[in-house]
Amino acid sequence: MMKKYFFSLIVIIILSQFFLLTPHAVEPDEVLENSKLELRARNISKNVRCLVCQNQSIDDSSADLAKDLRVLIRSKVKNGESDQEIYQFLIDRYGDFVLLKPLLKFNTLILWFMPFIFLIIGIFIIYQHHKKSN
Amino acid sequence: MIPFFGNLALWLSLFFASLQFILAYNQNPNLLLRFNNIVNKGLLISILISFFSLMYCHIISDFSVLNVFQNSHTTKPLLYKISGVWGNHEGSMLLWILVLIIFNYFIHKLFNKKNLALLSKALEVQALIIIGFLLFSILTSNPFEIIFPVPSNGLGFNPLLQDPALAIHPPLLYIGYVGFSAAFSLGIASMSVSKKERVNWHSYMKPFVVAAWSFLTLGIALGSIWAYYELGWGGWWFWDPVENASLMPWLLGTALIHSLITVEKKKSLQTWVLLLSILTFLLSVTGTFLVRSGILTSVHTFALDPERGIYILAFIALLGGYSLLLYGLKSKNFLNKNYLSFLSREGLILANNIIMMTVCATVFLGTMYPLLIEAFSNNKISVGEPYFNSTVVPIMIPAILIMGIGPILSWGDKSTKKKLKILSPAIFLTFISTIIFIWLYNSFNLFGIIGIVMSFWIISNIILAQIQHFQKKFNINKIKTNIIPKSSLGMTLAHLGIGLLILGITGSSVWQKEKIVKMNINDETFIHDYKIVFKEVKKNIGPNYIALQGNFLIYTKNNQLIAELKPENRFYPVAQNSTTEASIHTNIFRDLYIVLGDGDINNGWIIRIYYNPLVIWIWIGVVTIFAGGLFSLKKNIGIIKKIPA
Amino acid sequence: MKNKTLIIPAILFFFILFILFYLLLIDRKPSELPSVLINKKVPVFKAESLLNDNIFISEKEFKNELTIVNFFATWCKPCLDEHVYLKKLSIGENLKIIGINYKDDPKKAIKWLKELGNPYYDVLVDYDARIGIDWGVYGLPETFIINSKGIIKYRLVGPITEKNYNMFKLKIIEINQ
Repeated sequence: MMKKYFFSLIVIIILSQFFLLTPHAVEPDEVLENSKLELRARNISKNVRCLVCQNQSIDDSSADLAKDLRVLIRSKVKNGESDQEIYQFLIDRYGDFVLLKPLLKFNTLILWFMPFIFLIIGIFIIYQHHKKSN
Repeated sequence: MIPFFGNLALWLSLFFASLQFILAYNQNPNLLLRFNNIVNKGLLISILISFFSLMYCHIISDFSVLNVFQNSHTTKPLLYKISGVWGNHEGSMLLWILVLIIFNYFIHKLFNKKNLALLSKALEVQALIIIGFLLFSILTSNPFEIIFPVPSNGLGFNPLLQDPALAIHPPLLYIGYVGFSAAFSLGIASMSVSKKERVNWHSYMKPFVVAAWSFLTLGIALGSIWAYYELGWGGWWFWDPVENASLMPWLLGTALIHSLITVEKKKSLQTWVLLLSILTFLLSVTGTFLVRSGILTSVHTFALDPERGIYILAFIALLGGYSLLLYGLKSKNFLNKNYLSFLSREGLILANNIIMMTVCATVFLGTMYPLLIEAFSNNKISVGEPYFNSTVVPIMIPAILIMGIGPILSWGDKSTKKKLKILSPAIFLTFISTIIFIWLYNSFNLFGIIGIVMSFWIISNIILAQIQHFQKKFNINKIKTNIIPKSSLGMTLAHLGIGLLILGITGSSVWQKEKIVKMNINDETFIHDYKIVFKEVKKNIGPNYIALQGNFLIYTKNNQLIAELKPENRFYPVAQNSTTEASIHTNIFRDLYIVLGDGDINNGWIIRIYYNPLVIWIWIGVVTIFAGGLFSLKKNIGIIKKIPA
Repeated sequence: MKNKTLIIPAILFFFILFILFYLLLIDRKPSELPSVLINKKVPVFKAESLLNDNIFISEKEFKNELTIVNFFATWCKPCLDEHVYLKKLSIGENLKIIGINYKDDPKKAIKWLKELGNPYYDVLVDYDARIGIDWGVYGLPETFIINSKGIIKYRLVGPITEKNYNMFKLKIIEINQ
């Protein structure tokens, strides 16, 4: 039975892939009239993960849930909610997982700072070499 | 019958590989050379028989073979029956092994009395790798498993996989990954033998690295090309875990090539070469692990099977543990006191190495991080495109700046400020080009400007270097000798290719225009300077699909008809699913890209149109890089041939 | 590079290896998302009832007894498969099952329940997935257990099946205490 659920989920996922092959997901009737708001909505959507796809944003996916979330985000943008409020709304319901750009939190400090620590170590190595070469 | 012989040939390969491993301990040179010759040929022939047996079964649709049943179908066109051989886990492992053994054969061709110790050790290591993969295949992923009763047809009708770019993508990629195995084996061999015995070790390594890196570049690009025209919105890189898995060996491979050049010219960075030759191959194998173990789910993953994952991870543990411990102990024999001044060619190569390692480590961190969080807390997070764009892109910028300066400087350069005056024409050229692009695209987008500056910085410096060589050759304008050192054709083309690549990446990412509109027959719409008229819709029958095809006429602003684009929605009756085929018109300035969406004759169709500037330069850039790689390969093979045997 | 630093790659390697082995050997569900609503109060929402004219107001419900909330639809095959288990559960004492008909056709849903039997104390209509989104639903079916104080204590992703039915019942008993 569990297999059947996963089959269902996998079918959704696979079908979403085929919907990925169908065009980019935003449909004309979703588009907001105010182009500034629409741009905001697109940018927010690009950062929201499609939860029934693999590694896609809801802006790119044609899955049902993606569309529902896109419509929801647009109505919130129209209502005057800020980007932060909209993200918080989604995180409260789906967790941090729903954002493609990881939040800067205690558990992502290493993620965000390590690249720059790597760079600093690297620069130090280059500097050492340069100093010793003279 | 054939599957039986295919399987037998696989076991035979295992036998020969084991012989090669055992033989390495034989001290008698003549015996070693002669037996190795036989064993190597036997190994090559066995695996060829095995591989082509599997291919034969696919071509004739022998569904008694489980692998054929799971992955093929009688209605598949021949080309895709063939590429279907490696479009699945078991078959692709067999391809890995085939390429491993082909490279093994090339290592063996270098074998002679003078480099006996080094090469026999390298062949020993290579044999071990081959045995590891063969055991994995035979014991856990045998493609010749039989099923009974024999089904009348197969399950392999996924239209997604029936595509020319996707067909050739794995073989190119595997030549890349597996080529680094030769560098790995030679690296270990160099650390295991005495100083006298490892003469020329890096010269032997270089052609393998150049070949592997060039094919890896092409292989990755083909995956992106496929994504670009197949996925429907002009995207070609998604920081998907499996894409990242192919990028990491590429980054380290780049550092490895440059370090090998430095060892050649200045004897420095030898420990870097050893470390990079180990890490690049390790990352190639780890990439294989990620895709097949079930640890990640991705569009690309093959099988969700932890058991296979454990095997590969154990193999990686052995390979990596042994090699890195050996490195820890022995690489100090390769240290020299040559410290590198920053503003010299070798100093900038060191800087490039650092940047490549940093980017690689960042990509690795970003890819693994969600797994870490999941393992150690009950939380799940995503690390997606925004993370990689914010971290990798800024770190790459200095690397690209260095790419422009590096070839201008000489080996062992120390005079800094005088040399940098040479760069002023390049700076000027770059500035002019940037202005032109800002004017052309009417946009002050920061990323666009940075991208164009990067791209033309590289291109300008290359043009300048060529002009100087030209002038010197024909004695025009008596120039002081050796202001810009001579650069090889390989390097020139490869660097030029990267410049063009960046140009394409910038254009298509930053200045893309999208239009989504509902259209009925005879409607027209506009994008950029073009008028698009929806002419008609018709049915199109393909070999195993039925398609709804839209015809669109493209007019310039002077009402000149320049193209007719025909996007399709294909339905595959056997597979019971559909794909969308975009239609693209390309020229050197932009791609015009149309996709037919949902709709019907009464309500019209949703049409998506993209104006993608400069996309073709991505592909031109890659081909240029590959060409540079081939020239370099030729030169380096020439160098080996001159080594006295 | 100094002599001592040459061993660092090996050390880093074993560290990463350890983590990868650990990940491989623990029981993970790579495609399942843990609910962030566990131990939080039930979301506030209003909904139309499917079978009568009442309006369901969440603040008024979810008190005094354990409640199960089940998201389902007629177009979802695993929902059909788990229906028999929902009926079994509904016979049990001291619990209510509320069904939420997610993005479905009300007429089809009514017919479905008539044919298969109705295990639900009430069935609410979620036309546009807003209720589902409020509950963090991302696939069907999903079933939540809410304790008598209105706190969500457990979410099951996927259908109730022969395999997990007993586990689910035990969870109910556990939460009830």
